[in-house]
Amino acid sequence: MSIVVSGGKRGLTDPKIAAVILAAIPDQPLETQRKMNYFMTPRGKRINEYETLCCYTQPTPDWIPGGLDWGDWTQKFHGGRPSWSNESTEMHSSDWHKHRDPAFRWHALYVKDKAEEWRYTDRFLKAYSADGHVRSIDPIWRDEVLGDYLGAFGFSEYGLFNSHSSATRDCLGDTLRMSIAMIGLDKVDNAQMIQAERTFLAKLVPSFNESTDVPKKEWTEGSIYKGARETVEEIWQGTYDWNEILFSGHMIYDPLFGQFVRREFFLRLSAYYGDNLTPFFINQMQLYHSQTKGITKDMFHTCLAVDENFGDYNVSLMNMWSDKWLPRTVNALKDFMGIFAKIPTIAGVTDKAAVEAALGRVFEDWKRDYADPIGYKVDTAALIKTVLSGLK
Amino acid sequence: MAISLATKAATDSLEINRAPVSVGAQEVHKWLQSFTWDFDKNRTKYSTKYKMANDTKEQFKLIAKEYARMESVKDERQFGSLQDVLTRVDAANRVHPKWNESMKVISNFLEVGEYNAIAATGMLWDSATAPEQKNGYLGQVLDEIRHTNQCGYINYYFAKQGQDAAGHNDARRTRAIGPLWKGMKRVFSDGFISGDAVECSINLQLVGEACFTNPLIVAVTEWASANGDEMTPTVFLSIETDELRHMANGYQTVVSIANDEAASKYLNTDLNNAFWTQQKYFTPVLGMMFEYGSHFKVEPWVKTWNRWVYEDWGGIWIGRLGKYGVESPASLRDAKKDAYWAHHDLFMIAYALWPTGFFRLTLPTAEEAEWYEANYPGWYDMYGKVYEEWRARGCEDPNSGFLPLQWFIENNHPIYIDRVSQVPFCPSYSKGASTLRVLEFNGKKHSFSDQWGERMWLSEPERYECQNIFEQYEGRELSEVIAEGHGVRSDGFTLIAQPHTSKDGRLWTLDDIKKIGCVFADPLKSL
Ligand SMILES: [Fe+2]
Ligand SMILES: [Fe+2]
Repeated sequence: MSIVVSGGKRGLTDPKIAAVILAAIPDQPLETQRKMNYFMTPRGKRINEYETLCCYTQPTPDWIPGGLDWGDWTQKFHGGRPSWSNESTEMHSSDWHKHRDPAFRWHALYVKDKAEEWRYTDRFLKAYSADGHVRSIDPIWRDEVLGDYLGAFGFSEYGLFNSHSSATRDCLGDTLRMSIAMIGLDKVDNAQMIQAERTFLAKLVPSFNESTDVPKKEWTEGSIYKGARETVEEIWQGTYDWNEILFSGHMIYDPLFGQFVRREFFLRLSAYYGDNLTPFFINQMQLYHSQTKGITKDMFHTCLAVDENFGDYNVSLMNMWSDKWLPRTVNALKDFMGIFAKIPTIAGVTDKAAVEAALGRVFEDWKRDYADPIGYKVDTAALIKTVLSGLK
Repeated sequence: MAISLATKAATDSLEINRAPVSVGAQEVHKWLQSFTWDFDKNRTKYSTKYKMANDTKEQFKLIAKEYARMESVKDERQFGSLQDVLTRVDAANRVHPKWNESMKVISNFLEVGEYNAIAATGMLWDSATAPEQKNGYLGQVLDEIRHTNQCGYINYYFAKQGQDAAGHNDARRTRAIGPLWKGMKRVFSDGFISGDAVECSINLQLVGEACFTNPLIVAVTEWASANGDEMTPTVFLSIETDELRHMANGYQTVVSIANDEAASKYLNTDLNNAFWTQQKYFTPVLGMMFEYGSHFKVEPWVKTWNRWVYEDWGGIWIGRLGKYGVESPASLRDAKKDAYWAHHDLFMIAYALWPTGFFRLTLPTAEEAEWYEANYPGWYDMYGKVYEEWRARGCEDPNSGFLPLQWFIENNHPIYIDRVSQVPFCPSYSKGASTLRVLEFNGKKHSFSDQWGERMWLSEPERYECQNIFEQYEGRELSEVIAEGHGVRSDGFTLIAQPHTSKDGRLWTLDDIKKIGCVFADPLKSL
C-alpha cells in the first residue's frame, strides 16, 4: 500500500496501515531491560515512579557533582558566566541529584492533592455560609485581626513565595528544582488563601473590607510586622545563594515566625473568638508547612549534612547561617508581640503566661527538628525572653 | 476599637448573607497585583537591558489551587487513557518500529526543553516586577514540570510496554554520546536560561513556543498516529493545552517592555538571533525525525514548515506584535531555504554516525525514495544514490565492516560542527545553504556554517566556547566512546543504536565496531 497517509487515518485503527505495521514489528521484544532509569540508585528498595519521571531529567555535566552529561554549556550568559555552576552556592555536595521529596510527588500527584483541597474548600465555604457560622466571630477579631493582621501576614507568605524564583532558576539538581517550585507555589497559595478568606468574609459581612490597602500599610509601615518584613525582604532579594535562601526561609524564619503566627496565634486563638473559618485555611497552610518541612529537611539534613565528602563543612556552614538568620527571626517575633495589645484579652489564652507557653512549643519544636540535627547550640529560654520583651 | 464601630460590626453580623457562597479564583486573582510592595533591594537577580513594566497584566487569571484543579482534570483524562484502554489493546506494540525509535529522541529531547523551561520561567518570575506577570510565569514553571514528567512518561511507557525498550529506558544517560545532543542543548537548554532574561523569554516563548511548538507538538501527533502511535498524541495534545498560556506569556513579555527605550534598540536583534538559534536546529531535526523516522508520511516537512513557521508565525504572530515595533526576523528568508534541504543533509550525517545514537535509524526504502524525489526533486541524485551505494556495501550488516562515515572520509567530505549551534554540517556535500567559515581566537579554531551564527560569535565569543564532539573524542576509538557512554543493551555488548529496523536484520555489537578501527579526528586540526 501507499506510504502516504491522508485524511487523518490512524495506524492503530486503519486495517491496511495496521497490517503493514504489525508485519514490521519484531516477533520478540529486542530488549529485556524494561525499567526506565534502571541505572540509578533509588532512595528506597526499588525505583519508584517519581524517581523514574524526575531523576536525571536535568542535563548536568559531570563537573557538577552527580551529573551524567559532559563538557561545557553551549551558550552562556553575557560575559561568559555558565548556565549552572558550582559557584551558585556555598554548600558542597557529592551528588546534587540525591534529594527526594519524601512524599515522592511528581507533578500529577502534587496537583491532584491541591485540586482536592480546592474542591473541598469550595464545598466547605458554601456550607459554612449557608450555616450562618460567621455570626459567632467576635467582631474585633473579625474586622481588625483577620481584616488587617491576617491580611498583613499574607505579605510575609507572598514575599517568601518570591524567594523561590531565583532558587528555581539556580539550583543544581532536577528533584531539587521541582521541590523548590512546588514549595514556592504552596507559599503563594497561602497568600491567596488569606485573600480568599477575606474576600469570602466580605461576601458574608457587608461592612467587612476585603481590600489589601490596610493590610499592606500594616505590613510596610506598621510596627507589628516590621522585623518580619525586613527579614523577608532580605531572604527574597538580599540573598543570592539558593541554598541560603531555602535555609533562611524554611529552616529558620518559617518554622519559628511562620509557625508562631499561623499555629500559635491565628489557629490557636481563633476558636476563642468564635472563629471556625480561619482554622480551615490555616490547617491547609499547616499541611503545606509539614510537607515543606519534609522536603527541606531532606535537602539539608538527609543530603547535605551527612554528605560523604562535605558533611562536616556543610554542617558548619548551616551553623553560620543559623547565627545570621536566627537573631532577625527572633526580632521579627519580638515585634509581632505587639499584636497582643490589639486584641481583647482572654485570661489563660492571650496573657503573658499563655504566650510564653506558645513560644515554648514553637522554639522547642524548632530546636528538636532543626537545630539539634545540625548540632546547633541554642538557649531557647533566652530567645523566648527576648521575644517576650516585645509584649506590651 | 470605638464602641460605635463594635456595635456596627455586631449589627452587621445579624445582617449577614446566608446564601451558600464560595470564592472564585478570579475574585482572589483580582487582588494579586497588590500583593507586592516597594523596598530598596526589590530588583531582579538577573540582569536585563530591558525594563519590564510594573503594571503588566496577565490573561489567564489563575490562582494556585485553580491551576491545580485544571491540570488535575487533564491528567485524569490522559493517564486514564494510557493506563486503561491503550494498555489493554497493547498499543505500544502496534507502533511502527521506525516510529518507536523516533520517540526515543523526540520525547527525551523535548523533556530536556521542558525541564530547562522550568528554570527559564523561574528566571522570568524573578525578573518581572508585576505580580500578575510573575504569576503568569509561575504557572508556566509548574506546567514545565508537568511537561517534563509527561515526556518522561512516554519513554517510561514505551520502555515498559513496547517492542524495543533500549534507549527509551536510559535516554537520560546515553543521549549525550551522539551528534544531535549538543545542538539540542543550545536551543532547548542553554538558550532558554543563559543570557539577558528577556532574550531568554524571546528564545523560549516568542520563538520556541510560539513558533516551533506547533510543528513540534502538534505535527508530531499526526505523524505518530499515522504510524500507529496513540500514546504520543494522548500526552502531547495534553501538553499543548498549556502552551497557549505560555505563548501569552511571551506576548506579555513584549508588551511589558514595549514602552522601554531599550526595546526599540535591541528587541529586533534579539528576536532575529533567537529565531535563527531555534530554527538552525529545529528546522533540520524536526524534518529529519518526521520524514526519516517514520514509515507512513503525512506531508512533506517543507509544507508544514511554510505553513506554521513562515506564514503563521513569521506573518500572523509577528504581525500582531508589529504595533510594539516587532519586525519579522531578517534571517527568516535564509531559514526558508534551510527548510527545503537542511533535514536531508542532516540525516545523511546522522546516519553516517549512527553508532553514537541511542536509537535505530533506517535508510529510506525504494518507495520512500520515490516519495522524496516526488516532493524534493533532485533528492535522488544527491542522497538516494549514495544510500544505494552504502546499502550495497553492507552498511546494515555487522559483517560488512563498513560504516557510512568511511564514505565521507574516502570521498574527502569532512564533517564540521558549527560552534554556535553545535549542528554538524558537511560543506562539500550538502544541498542546504551551509558554507564553511573558520575563525581563530585565543589559539583555537572555530568553524561556522552560516553568517547569523558567525555574527553572534563575533560579538560575544565568550558565550560560545563549548567543545564539540570531535574535539572531545579526538584520537579515541569509536567502540570505546560508545562503551564509555553506556550505548549498549542489557546483554552488555549489543549496541542500542543500529543502522536498520528490519526484524530479520542482525544487530551490531561493540566488537563489530571495534574491528573497523574507526578513530575520531578533529577536522579543524587538518585545516
Ligand atoms: Fe512545556
Ligand atoms: Fe511551554
